[in-house]
Amino acid sequence: MANRRPAAKKQPAGKSAQPKQAAQSKQSMQPKPAAANPHLLGEILPEGAYEVEVLPKGLHRVPRGVDELATEHLIMNMGPQHPSTHGVLHLLLEIDGEEVITGEANIGYLHRGIEKLAEHRRYNQVGTLLDRSDYLSGLHSELAFSMAVEQLAEIEVPRKANWIRSLVSELNRIASHLVWMGTFGMDAGSMPGFLYALREREALLDILETITGARMMFNYVRPGGVLMDLPPEVEPMIRAFLADFPTKLEEYDTLIGKNEIMQARIKGVGVIHRSTALAFGLTGANLRATGFGWDVRKERPYAAYPELDFDIPVGETADCWARYLVRMEEMRVSTKLVGQLLDGMPEGDHSAKVAKVLRPPAGEAYAAVESPRGEMGIHLASDGSDKPYRMRVRGPAYYALSIIDEILPGNLIADAVMTAGSLDLVLGEIDR
Amino acid sequence: MQPDASALSAALRNAGIDAPVAEERLGLVARPAIADTPSALRALHAADYEMLVDLFGIDTGEDIEITYHVRSFTRDEDAYLKANLPYDAMLTSVWDVYPAALYPEREAAEMFGLRLVGHPNPKRLLTSDEFNVPVLRKSVPIRTDIELERPGISREHLKAAEEANDNG
Repeated sequence: MANRRPAAKKQPAGKSAQPKQAAQSKQSMQPKPAAANPHLLGEILPEGAYEVEVLPKGLHRVPRGVDELATEHLIMNMGPQHPSTHGVLHLLLEIDGEEVITGEANIGYLHRGIEKLAEHRRYNQVGTLLDRSDYLSGLHSELAFSMAVEQLAEIEVPRKANWIRSLVSELNRIASHLVWMGTFGMDAGSMPGFLYALREREALLDILETITGARMMFNYVRPGGVLMDLPPEVEPMIRAFLADFPTKLEEYDTLIGKNEIMQARIKGVGVIHRSTALAFGLTGANLRATGFGWDVRKERPYAAYPELDFDIPVGETADCWARYLVRMEEMRVSTKLVGQLLDGMPEGDHSAKVAKVLRPPAGEAYAAVESPRGEMGIHLASDGSDKPYRMRVRGPAYYALSIIDEILPGNLIADAVMTAGSLDLVLGEIDR
Repeated sequence: MQPDASALSAALRNAGIDAPVAEERLGLVARPAIADTPSALRALHAADYEMLVDLFGIDTGEDIEITYHVRSFTRDEDAYLKANLPYDAMLTSVWDVYPAALYPEREAAEMFGLRLVGHPNPKRLLTSDEFNVPVLRKSVPIRTDIELERPGISREHLKAAEEANDNG
């Protein structure tokens, strides 16, 4: 069987083959159990329950020729305009029949030079750029940037500002996960989930519009606090949403995830071992689906999260199904968090007194938040002037995409679609 | 998270790398020579720094400072490795230690005009092949003359507007 593989005839491009070897040698690098941290897996699941060393029999597919015929490899372009590549991702797939031999992501179609532009904007103007980097969760990028500026300029943020920041973050997280849920279902051919998801998201965008004045390009979280206080009419809106949403979410879960066809479609597909995930810098739900419960909200608490009570959902099987379960559970957790934040919303100022033109002292700072896609970090270098000397966006989807070359080989093309969909890629943040 | 430099300095010392470790506003920062960086990162990886969080360059005005941000989950600790690279130097890839470096190394090389060596796929990442401007260098203006050449708009006018915008 193996000697009939066309790969022996024509070597796949070495560039993609080499990282594979490297990551395989890393399989032996077992991550430490991290017993000291109660949020990490060792305490939640029994030892060994999460390590899927080999795929279940019948699910691992190797490329092969057809009987005695030698087949040829084909280079296929998927994207940049493609319904399953979520924006302008361009995948170059070398295929043998339906099987992917090598996969390579070709990106940059949305590159706008946000890091360069930020060097020519004042500190309170950079938020507009960051809204456009990760356009599904602009508030998280703004928050990370504001926190980095506050570290540099040593600004104390009022308690109420922190609570509002957490509130809008969680609302934005649900909105972003809904888009993911809908598009993920659509990748598998389940259209209704997408329409319902966008309907719910519309209610959330209305709430965010009432709070911030914009539906997607918020520029609401500023260094020192937030732009405006919560308007009085928003609380009934959020309460109405909270009363409705949990039951609806269960309906959508029934529609998408509890569908037997969907489960057969994504279980065992796109497995990312924990060691591979760590080696490639995966964070967020993609990492937690491997059973590694690392969440910036718990490990490096920011905004109001130290005062809140919530759990970090972790997955077990590290495949598309686990990533689906983790994200659905995260929406439930976020719904509870929004309730907590509304109930405990303190009185006070929504912003600290901050100079109109900020000139933080020279130095460097790194601040990270848990965006819907993982650890969104902003690395900021200041030279004491009114503009950042250098701003680096550490995007979670950027690193999630880099694992594509590693995990696609051996999958079917259709599974490549599901794998890319399950990683929750937002190209605006990858290309910046 | 209280920074503790002992693990970081011990890891570097055991690998025979002479690098000053300091606690800066950013966190724990080690500054090895650029030639020592791959072996320093290998030592850090062996010392339980499991993840490369980020890799990027900063144009300091005299050279390119490459920052490696690594994280240890076991000790719940972040550390930064900073190495200074002359403008015309080569950036040695560390993807065999941290595969996460595959993308950001390509990005750093294209954005700062460095040559990438030891990388399995040293193509440009975000910009197209014919665009060979090291964009993030401070010497590259945010607008170029080529961009300003438009019918009906004089260069001087746009430049004046740009300066007015820069000066507030």
